[in-house]
Amino acid sequence: MNTPSTPCGIGRACDDVSDPPRAPDVGAYAPHFELTDRAGHQISLSELRGSPVLLAFHGAHWDPAWSESVRAYNRLIADLPGAAGARLLSIAGEGTWQSPLFEDGALDLPVVCLDGGPVAEQYGVAGVAAVFVVDSDGRISWRHVPGDASPTPNAVAPVGASTVSSDDAADANEPSATSREWTRRRFVATTLAAAVALAFARRAARAEEIARSIGGSAATSSSELASAVRLRVNGRDLTLELEPRVTLLDALREYAGITGPKKGCDHGQCGACTVHVNGRRILSCLTFAVMQQGKEITTIEGLAATAGASGDALHPMQQAFIDHDGFQCGYCTSGQIMSASAVVREPWGPADDDVREAMSGNICRCGAYPGIVAAIQQVRKGTSTDSNRGRR
Amino acid sequence: MKPFDYTAPGTIADALRAGAAPNTRFIVGGTNLVDLMKLEVETPAHVVDLNPLAEADRTLATISEMPGGGLRIGALAPMSDVAWDPRVKERYPMLSQSLLLAASGQLRNMASMGGNILQRTRCPYFRDTAMPCNKREPGTGCSALRGFNRSHAILGTSEHCIATNPSDLAVALAALDATVRVRTGGTTAGGAERTIAMTDFHVLPGTHPERETVLRAGEIITAIEVPALPFARRSLYLKVRDRASYAFALASAAVALDVANGRIRASRVALGGVGTKPWRSLAAERALVGRAPTAATFRSAANAALQGAVAHKDNAFKVELAKRTLVRALTEVVA
Repeated sequence: MNTPSTPCGIGRACDDVSDPPRAPDVGAYAPHFELTDRAGHQISLSELRGSPVLLAFHGAHWDPAWSESVRAYNRLIADLPGAAGARLLSIAGEGTWQSPLFEDGALDLPVVCLDGGPVAEQYGVAGVAAVFVVDSDGRISWRHVPGDASPTPNAVAPVGASTVSSDDAADANEPSATSREWTRRRFVATTLAAAVALAFARRAARAEEIARSIGGSAATSSSELASAVRLRVNGRDLTLELEPRVTLLDALREYAGITGPKKGCDHGQCGACTVHVNGRRILSCLTFAVMQQGKEITTIEGLAATAGASGDALHPMQQAFIDHDGFQCGYCTSGQIMSASAVVREPWGPADDDVREAMSGNICRCGAYPGIVAAIQQVRKGTSTDSNRGRR
Repeated sequence: MKPFDYTAPGTIADALRAGAAPNTRFIVGGTNLVDLMKLEVETPAHVVDLNPLAEADRTLATISEMPGGGLRIGALAPMSDVAWDPRVKERYPMLSQSLLLAASGQLRNMASMGGNILQRTRCPYFRDTAMPCNKREPGTGCSALRGFNRSHAILGTSEHCIATNPSDLAVALAALDATVRVRTGGTTAGGAERTIAMTDFHVLPGTHPERETVLRAGEIITAIEVPALPFARRSLYLKVRDRASYAFALASAAVALDVANGRIRASRVALGGVGTKPWRSLAAERALVGRAPTAATFRSAANAALQGAVAHKDNAFKVELAKRTLVRALTEVVA
């Protein structure tokens, strides 16, 4: 472990302003900072003393698809026994990141997510992805910055595993205050840091490569360039960096992290990718995202809201599919429901055969068709879903 | 998919200018082009999105009345808008049916009328860049001639290509004597206009199967005009395929009959799924006119329509299938 050094500004003059700061080593004091989170709250690092803090820098190039990584991260936290209480204090960027991702419970483990602003410069990681764990004394206890060895569970495990105790009672037997820091909380912090470094930072690194390739575009054909594409999905505006050849389906799934639309055949033959554009059902695999700017795009994630449902309430068609077992494996289901919820607005005849014809663009390999037809007829005829549930 | 430049001009003059660049494709619905670009059968360097043109000129995406009772259908109109239009359903049932029996609800909301008549063949060898194909790569040979050719054409074929034209819509339009309005680039702003009869729009493969229409590079279809045809109010598009819905035609027939006093005064007959182009059959029409609408008359018309059909290893069944399809369509339309 490296020799601890006093951070700039605390008992040491910041006289070396001409040199960009290097990333603080493990054991060094974490540079102090203050910032304002999305909710307008002031956060300073010193206020967070007393518990480990995880700092994640995602680099300058933003990609909302990282929300997938954060979801995985949230699941990891939920699965760690006793680890609940992690809290996301600040969320940078845009899109899905604007929602609080952690329950606001105990304050055991602040997680600060930062973009490539002044704090990143302070930490010597401007424009790159990096992760630091700051211990309760304010020192860096773990880090991953570009150039460090790849973070792997093996690289992390010895830090925590050799000292971790299964519960706080065991911590009391630790010989010193310093080693007592390597308790459950610290283990969790380090584990989470590794999770971020593995999932989130890896994505960020990929985005940096793209950013670099754009920066060095002189030799690149202009057709290979991504440009800002503004999409309105489920009532929210997204700006994605996309090449023209990215289909709407890939933009939603791979760039915006909206995975309700499924990729089945990717050639317009199965219907699994069905979404609504301006209220009409289309196949998101056969149109380029760049062509869908300025239109209202609805995926299964936003369908219920179009029917005025709030919270976890379902769209009537979603409920009808449940009522009638309109699915088995579920892969085609989001496409079936998106298609079906548009079919009820189209001028088809009343018969079951009309439903079959209207829905022929949605293939179900499980053969859930009888339930699908029944579900659609339930909605078309306005049959009460309550009475249906009552029979079950 | 190969990278490409994307532009979305706001005026037709700008679109014509953009379309003048080599290796450019126009896009509207994308249902055929995006599919073929994924397969790298189509590899345009430039893709020009025509959809914004409809914002400046709504007639490009809507249906309007023509003098004398015909309809002008904007080329950017989605198939579903035209299929459900009350005027189309009333005046040209076969046109509405040809659209509703094609593709799926989602695809019909995307695909444009102009794009539909330009769609490429579903020949599996055309779609497979590993296989020789005269249409895709002139001079490489036809894999279908001695390959699996069950879905291929029996009318209008050549020794260089037996690919079937897959459009249902174009079959109905051929029967209705529709014309295609085209804007062509030129010295004047906005270019010049020309019209092409639907029956002349597609060309036979001959020795150049890579040429499918008389449309020249950079030209833009602005509208499809369907002239008045009162007896088309009793018309029918009958489609026979391997499954009940959402499949290309093995055989199809677009028919309209004008019957008075037990005699056929006028008729329209076109076949789909069997020709290298949408197959208007004047021979069948001649065999119908002046006769009584009987099973024997219909059978003789079907024989006339399939005169000269050339079958290959796997598609001989189509000769009889097309005849029966036509007979049934004629029978149903007078029923």
